[in-house]
Amino acid sequence: MKKAFIKKSRTVYFVFGIGLLIGLAVLVMYLPDPGRSQEEVVSPYITRLRERVRTGYQEGYEVKPRMSVGYDLMKGGYYEGNEVRPIKRTRDEFKAPGVLRDLFPVSSTGAEVRIRSHLPDAHAGIKFYQQSTCTECHSRQARSFHTDRAGINCRQCHGAEPIPAIKHYYSPMNPIRRHAYVCATCHEGANDLFAQYIIHEPAPGALTTKESFPVFFYANWFMVLLLLGTMAFFIPHSLMMFLQELAMKKGKTGIDILFPLIPHRFKATLRKRFPKKKAPEK
Amino acid sequence: MTEKTYIKRYSKIHRLFHIFIVLTFMNQAVTGFSFLFITTDLGEKLSRLLGGYKTTFFLHKVGGVLMISGFLIHILYLLSKIDRRNLKTSIFGPDSLVPNLQDIKNLSQRVLSFFGFGSLPKIDRWAYWEKFGYWGVFWGMPLLGITGVMLMFPLLICSVVPGWTLNVAALLHRAEAILAVSYLFIIHFFFGHFSLSKFPLNEAMFSGRVELEELMEERPAWVERLQKEGKIELLKAKAPNPWYRVLYFIFGYAALACGFYIIIKGIDYSRYIKLH
Repeated sequence: MKKAFIKKSRTVYFVFGIGLLIGLAVLVMYLPDPGRSQEEVVSPYITRLRERVRTGYQEGYEVKPRMSVGYDLMKGGYYEGNEVRPIKRTRDEFKAPGVLRDLFPVSSTGAEVRIRSHLPDAHAGIKFYQQSTCTECHSRQARSFHTDRAGINCRQCHGAEPIPAIKHYYSPMNPIRRHAYVCATCHEGANDLFAQYIIHEPAPGALTTKESFPVFFYANWFMVLLLLGTMAFFIPHSLMMFLQELAMKKGKTGIDILFPLIPHRFKATLRKRFPKKKAPEK
Repeated sequence: MTEKTYIKRYSKIHRLFHIFIVLTFMNQAVTGFSFLFITTDLGEKLSRLLGGYKTTFFLHKVGGVLMISGFLIHILYLLSKIDRRNLKTSIFGPDSLVPNLQDIKNLSQRVLSFFGFGSLPKIDRWAYWEKFGYWGVFWGMPLLGITGVMLMFPLLICSVVPGWTLNVAALLHRAEAILAVSYLFIIHFFFGHFSLSKFPLNEAMFSGRVELEELMEERPAWVERLQKEGKIELLKAKAPNPWYRVLYFIFGYAALACGFYIIIKGIDYSRYIKLH
């Protein structure tokens, strides 16, 4: 009997052990590559890298613009040979059609914003740009732990004028090198995976977050519902228990103390149906 | 004057675990609230009281590590308590904290009794709300521990997982902390101390013993079971030492005051809580 039990438990342990190993192997397969802190990267995910090699498809920010010369961010112009030329004279990689011609600068489809996010100067051609502040237009981006807690302002990460768009190939904010050029200025040793932290977090409860960051959305609502559910059950429960205890002490049934507003006749029928109990003897 | 008979309800190790978790949890709650409300005057005050943002952060980390190690020790203790020969009774029996069918019956009986139906449930050693509290803490600890360690070593963690998990970890850490604080300082305090016989401080968890008369009202099924098995004589104890009583009254009142301060201030300032 005892031996059989031991034998059985051993097989159970064995099966569990093998299962655990298989689970770990699957987990390791789906984890991204270890992050690199000083290199340029395209994508930290192995699967996505493979897909890129297979299809030959690459995002705009991963491809150098069509020019054989370097781009000096600090001076705000291109080098052509030894000569520095201002941005306006060179052809932009993408043109922003119809920028700020209408009353509302952002189109309904967001196409202009997407195109703007590839420009060497993200705010090129915006009227009254000098007179406005960042959060007047980027109101959603005002939500940031770095601003709330550490008191960091926009320019400390996004740089001085002209502010390059985050997806322009040579921008320090480009995901290819963001970790080394921006994050690592404070977080020493930051790698590409670390740079995937979402600085301008969306509002976790908002429905738009369901599309942009579903894990965040569901985690938030799970916790909120858990909190509300616990409180909604236990607060009335404990109050009722307290009242019940008071009622018991006075030798009444629950009906008298909990439902003082019930009409007299209904109360009488209730009492007939559920006769009064004697107070516990002491 | 007849002497009151006391029954031993909690062993020394239970009380030690409780005092340990009270101390560490209070530390975590106060330091954590100082971060949560750091943009308001409440957070600033708390932070200043504890020696500034950095010191508070250090205290929070130390408390967290202590809590995690306490939790691991508690798990070892639990494993040592499992009786392998009668596995079923030791896990699902009335002396175990694992929820069982009887708890559901007790709960429904209690809820019906609020509306005047039926009688009060006969509760065994652990009531269903005590079990709920215990398992609430039990699942909250690993959640807070794992997310806390992730936030403690973000660069190390991010060599393996992508950075947006830190967003989720921070959210879960906050939300679970708020849940734990509100559960403990509202509902746990209520069940523990807000009854006519116990108010304002329930000594049971500190002295480890309860009066037999009280126990017959609150835990009739347990007393019945003990009498049937003839174990009740073994559990009888003397009244607690008055000096020890003074000590734990001071401790208990301090903890209660601290908890009430935190929960009242927290509700007052809850409009400033951002879960991002």
